[in-house]
Order: sequence, then structure tokens, then C-alpha cells
Amino acid sequence: MFEESITVLVFLLIFLGFGLWLQDTFLNVSARMLDVHQSVPVLMLGLAVIVTLIPGKFDLSVSGVATLTTFAVVGLTVKNELPFPVAVGAAVAVGLGVGLINGVLVEYLNVNAFIATLGTGAICTGLAAVYSNGAYLGATPGTPDMPTWFRNFGTFVNKPPVAIVWVMIVLAVVGAFFVVDRFRPAAWSKTRWLVAKSAMFVSVILVLQFVTLLSTWVAQVSWMLLMLLLVALTMAVLLQYTTFGRQLQAIGSNRSAAALAGVRVRRQVVKSFVLGGFLAALAGISIAASQGSASPDVASAFLLPAFAAAFLSTVVFSDGRFTVGGTIIGGVFVVWVGIGLIVGGLPSTWTNVINGGVLIGAVSLSTAVRRRRT
Amino acid sequence: MQDPGSHTLEVDGLRKSFGSNEVLKGINLTIRSGEFIGLMGPNGAGKSTLIKILAGVYQASSGQIRLGGRTLTSLGDTEDVAFIHQDLGLVDALTIAENFALGNPPQRLFGPILNKRAERTSAARALGLVGLDLSVDTLLSDLTPGQKTLVAVARAMDRGARILIVDEATSTLPPRDAQGVILSLAAAAAAGATVVMVTHKLSEILEATSRVLVILDGEMVRDAPTHGLDRAALVEMLMQHESDPHNLDDASHQTRDPVLELRGVHFEDLGPIDLTLNAGEVIGISGLPGSGLHDIALLVNGTLKPHKGEVVESRPRLTRALVPPHRESQGGFGELSIRENMALSALGRWRRLSRVLKPRREELDCARVASELSIKPASIDTTFDILSGGNKQKVIFGRALLLNPDVFVLCEPTRGVDVGTRSEIYRLIRELARGGAAVLVASSDAEDLFSVCDRVALVADGRLQQLRPVSELSTSELELMV
Repeated sequence: MFEESITVLVFLLIFLGFGLWLQDTFLNVSARMLDVHQSVPVLMLGLAVIVTLIPGKFDLSVSGVATLTTFAVVGLTVKNELPFPVAVGAAVAVGLGVGLINGVLVEYLNVNAFIATLGTGAICTGLAAVYSNGAYLGATPGTPDMPTWFRNFGTFVNKPPVAIVWVMIVLAVVGAFFVVDRFRPAAWSKTRWLVAKSAMFVSVILVLQFVTLLSTWVAQVSWMLLMLLLVALTMAVLLQYTTFGRQLQAIGSNRSAAALAGVRVRRQVVKSFVLGGFLAALAGISIAASQGSASPDVASAFLLPAFAAAFLSTVVFSDGRFTVGGTIIGGVFVVWVGIGLIVGGLPSTWTNVINGGVLIGAVSLSTAVRRRRT
Repeated sequence: MQDPGSHTLEVDGLRKSFGSNEVLKGINLTIRSGEFIGLMGPNGAGKSTLIKILAGVYQASSGQIRLGGRTLTSLGDTEDVAFIHQDLGLVDALTIAENFALGNPPQRLFGPILNKRAERTSAARALGLVGLDLSVDTLLSDLTPGQKTLVAVARAMDRGARILIVDEATSTLPPRDAQGVILSLAAAAAAGATVVMVTHKLSEILEATSRVLVILDGEMVRDAPTHGLDRAALVEMLMQHESDPHNLDDASHQTRDPVLELRGVHFEDLGPIDLTLNAGEVIGISGLPGSGLHDIALLVNGTLKPHKGEVVESRPRLTRALVPPHRESQGGFGELSIRENMALSALGRWRRLSRVLKPRREELDCARVASELSIKPASIDTTFDILSGGNKQKVIFGRALLLNPDVFVLCEPTRGVDVGTRSEIYRLIRELARGGAAVLVASSDAEDLFSVCDRVALVADGRLQQLRPVSELSTSELELMV
């Protein structure tokens, strides 16, 4: 349990340090949740890449897909004056379609996943540029705009009813309550473990409530964050508690053994690419919602942070596997470390340097701890 | 180095336990220079444990190893001793001479410039020792498997090894190649080297060795000169431990329903193969490595598709489960837990209408099978990687059991499994058949065939021979299968 939590502990210590140093400028719930809100596309892309990383494939096309879908949502409504649902439908279709192409290229034409998705990603980014003549696309007076509810969905100030958020948090906690059973020490009886586990959960929740004021955080959850939570919960169940998810894990661990155990390896990997494409399209739609427009190459800067979040998930409460929860938590923590330094006076041009450093630091720390223990 | 007595290898009271399981129960041995020893014993008897202790892979629980009077913890670090495994440690993309130079201190002309000529001369001399007539500039990839083995032997001798320990290096070779290797080893022994060869093949023992050692259940039960032994005597030595090979149920005479049939199946060099699996019956097939034994199993499992002929299923949606021949590379998922490893094939049985699995039921079912198989450690959330070989095998067995299929295809079900687990697995296979499943055991271990199968046949020259009831086979026919 210690090895799995060490990175999280270090992150929390860093935040504690920031809190002591920067006081209220860092410990500002609304501002920190705004950071998370703005990272929704990146986190969504992080989820998109872990779907294919689990069976051992890199999908570099997700940022291209996100860019193209942003242009599809904005452009089809604004430029082509199509009904908004059609535009969203087209965006989702683009995501699914590119995912399918990736899957077929990788599994049936045996193209290296790196190369295939690098290619399709470039094509998507390029098509977006061709479509918009390489220019910014957005509503201008006289053209139809995307519906108000969609724009509201993308802003931070519009909040969903708090009750919904609480329901989802309760769901997530209940889920986590069962997931941690994996860590039960073999010598412990069921009762002893149950007591210990409940005590731990209650204390964590109490700490969250009274030290970090959980309820004020919850009140700051925006519609887009709620969507991210919903997607993340669905994905967590999908990857752990469905045949598809289990088979993906098996493929990633030992492909030929999976085939011999009756897994239809190719079909499942293709499905994972399609799912990755779908999530990338959701990321693109979130960008359209939050920015209200599409600028060239809008998502390309998100690719590396998305992969960073995905790889951080292997060391956040995890023994080396890609997890949904870890991707979200890891992604958010990286953003906060960067923001903390920027709030503390570092120029914002340093963001990528910090991201890279945090990724390497976290993964190597956790690896070193694990090696020392075994 | 000059005194022949300095290479006497003595092993004294060597014991080794893995947990509560004692694998070696006090091995005593004295091997002198120039001897060619054949080391035999069924799988799991302790041969490879003994070799691994000698090589320094494992540490003995107690006992001594002495070489020329010096006490050593292992022979792995002495230049006098070389170990030849199936994995020869040669690089295919390099020439013979370059392979020899790998790991040797470089011979230099001056500065960093290598003395290629000296390397080539010494390589050529070493090839002569094993009777290989090849240019030292030949690429390794152009050699036959047997020649590669000889190159490995020559390299070992070139480095000054006087004791060669050959661990089943011939078992994957085609017969003719194996023959060549054996002859070279015999020549090396005649020239004063000591050779210890682990093998399953009786003919190799009889042809070349000067002395036979038989290990059964961790004890050295026979130590005799080869001279004067014949096949029957060897088989008898190996069969001593067969306490109750034929306590099979008597169901073998009732009529059975065919479940799956191979009709005139061709696959690569195999064929035509005809084979019928019946409900409630255990069929055993055996053969040399490379005979296509496992290909037949994979054809039955449906993993391989026949090039010609057909696989006829008696009913639609016939379910089949496979225990693959290579546990590490084809069987397990190292990073996943025991539960995830076992559940993989049978996930459908815990699926709700919503397609989400029922985790509690899954856990209960996996835990039940794990305890039936007495998998250790008891927690099914343990990572597969850290299990012992026998427990890994049980987990993979458990995966097949959870699926509860109509047909079980079991490849090498007891490979690398200790004696206790072995009998548990045999009991289990009998139970599967009693429960009405059709079972195919494809194993290169004769004990598997004799202990659990109703009818057995050999694969040879791409054909499956006539199936015969195991009770009709005499021990002298067994040696064909070893």
C-alpha cells in the first residue's frame, strides 16, 4: 500500500508547502477548481490514451482527432449553418471513424501503432486546417452560433445542482471501497480488514471535509467537470468490470497468452481504438464548448500532458497499471504543481518544463521505492 | 590443471527445499575426469534443481559441492565447468569466430585494434575439438540446430572447461543432429573431459554414456555403469516409483459419445490426422519435440486452422479450454492477479444483462477453484508473477476449470511441476473425465500418459499412430515414448 501511495503523499506535501508559502493565493478553492475545469480536455485525452495503452498500443492521433472535432462542432454550425445536433453527431462520427481506421491499420494491416496513429493524427490536424483555410473559426454577427446551453455547459460559472455531484462522489467512494480489497494483507481476517478499511475511509473523508473543506470543492464542480466525472466512472467500471476491459488488460500483459485463452485479440484492440477515438471526440467537443470557437492546432499542445497524465496513473495508487482514477488525479496534480509555481512568481512559459520534470520525478520516485521494497 | 584428480566433482548430502516441499533429499555423487554421465529421471524428480544448484541459480539448503577437493558454493563461477542449456547463448547475427570472442578478453594487436587472426585461429582449433568442419566465418544463423549446440560446446571447451554439464540440450534437436552432438560429447569425454548429460532419451544414454544416474523424487536411486544395461533395465529403473499407474476408473469400457473429431486434417508437415475425442475419456498423445504434438493440440482447440481436412464438432458452440505448452510465454499474465488470470476465459459466466460483471460472484468462484487446487499463496489477489512454477500451472489449470468446457486440451500439464502437485493434477484430470468432459493430453512426458490416459498414441513423421488402450502397453513400449 505504501509503494502505491508514495507519489500521492509527495504531491500532497508539495501542496502543503505551496499552502504555507503562498497562503490564500494558492489555497483558493474556486481558482484551483477553475484549473481543473480548464484541464478537462487534457484529462479527457488522458482517458482516451489509456484505453489503448492498456492493451499496449500508443494512440498519438487523439490530439488530431480533438482538433478536427472542435472544428467540426464549431464549423458545421457557424460556417455550414447545419443544425447543432448534426454538428455534434458529425464530431462523434469523426472520432469513432478515425478510431476504427487506427484499429484496422494496427491490427489487420499490421502497421506499427506509433506510425499509424502519428499519420492519422497528422491527417486530422491537416484536414481541420484545410477546412478552415488554416484560420480561426468562430461565430460572427450574422452567422448562427452554437446554442446557449452548450456555451453555458462549457463555462466555469454555471454549476450543476450540487446533489448530482454528491451522488457521483458517493458512487465513486463506494466503488473505491470495494476496489481497495485488493490490498488486504493475506494474514488479516475479513472482519479485521473491513473494520480497518472503514476506519480508513471515514478518516480520509473527515480529513477531506474538515481540512480541505470538501463541500466547498464540490460546490465548485462545473457541468464539464461533472461530465468528466461521469465519463471517468463509466470508464473505470468498463475497464475493471466488463469482459472487454479485462480482456484488454490481459492483452496488454501477454498478448499470445490472451489469444490462447480465447480472447479475440484483434477485435478487442480495434474496439479500444474506437473507444479512444470517441473519448478524443468528447475532448474536442469540450474544447468547442469552453472556447466557443476553434483555432488552428487547438489540441496539439494537449497531447504530451495527456500522455503524462496517463503514465502518472501507473504510479498513483497503482502497481504499474494504467488506471482511470490515477489519470485524473495525476493530471490534476501536475497542473496544480505548475500553477503553484506560477502563482509563486515563475513565468508561465515554464509550464512544460515543470510538467516534464514532475512526470519524470514521480515515476522514478515510485519505481525506486518499489525496487527497494522487493 | 595438469593433475587429472583436480577435476573430480564431489557432491555430498545436497538438500534443497522450496518451502515445505523437499525437492532434493540428500544427493551424493562423485564424478571423475573422463566420465560421461547420463542423468535421468522423470520431470519434477529434481534433476533440474540439482543442475541449477550446481550452476549457482539456486542455493542448496544444506550439503557440499567440491571440485578437485576445494569446497565451492556453486560451479557457476569456475572456468573449469561449463553449462550448456537449450538456450545456448549464441548470437545468430554474428559469425562463429565473433561468437567465440564474445565474453572472452579481447586479443589485441596494439591499442584498441583487435587481433582478428588470433581469434579466428583459436576458434578453428576449438571447432576441431568437437569435430565440426566449418569455416569460422560462417554466420550462426546458417547453422543447423545441432551445429549450433556443438559451437556452444566448442566455445565452452575453448574457454578451458574440463567439465561439461549438458542440460537437455538435445531434447529439441532433430534425431540426426542430436546424434552428432552426442558423438562429439563422447569424443570429448574420451579426450579427458567430464560430461554430465541430462536427457530423457534412453538411446542417448545407451549409446554414449559410461555411467547412469537416476533421480526419483529427489533421491539418487541408481548409480550404475552403462555397460551391461539395456533398454528394459533402464525403463525398469525409471518406473520404480510408479506405485499405482493403473488405478484408473473402470469406465473405460462403456460406450462413449464422440465430442470432437479431426478428419484427415493436414497442417504444415502434419497429416493426415484422424482423431476422435469422446466424452468421459482421456486421450494422450506424445512425441518428440518438433513432431507437431502441440500443433495437434492447438488444432483440436481451434487455435490453429487445418490447411486441409475438417474438425467436426458434435454439437454447435462446443466449448474448449487450453492449457498451453509454454507456461511463461503463453499461459500467464504476469502483472495481473491470480483472480484476473483465472477468470479471463470464463468472464461470460459472471456477466449481468447490463454486461457489467458481478465482482462478488467472480471472486467467490475463483477463490473456490483456487482452494480446490490448493494454490499458494491463498490470497487470489496476489500477482501471478511471484508464484512458483507449480502454482502458475495450477492457476492456468484453474482458468480452464472455471470455463467448464466440453473439451479440455492440456499441453504438458505437469511440466516443471513438483511431485505432489503432479499427482494432484492427475487426480484432477481423472475427475474432469469422470464429469463427462473429453480430455486430450499432449505431453512429451511418458508419465503423464501412463498415469491419466485411457488411450494413447505417438506422433511420428507427421502422423498420429493408432490409439491404444494404455493398459495394453508394456513397459518396453514405454521407452519409445520417453
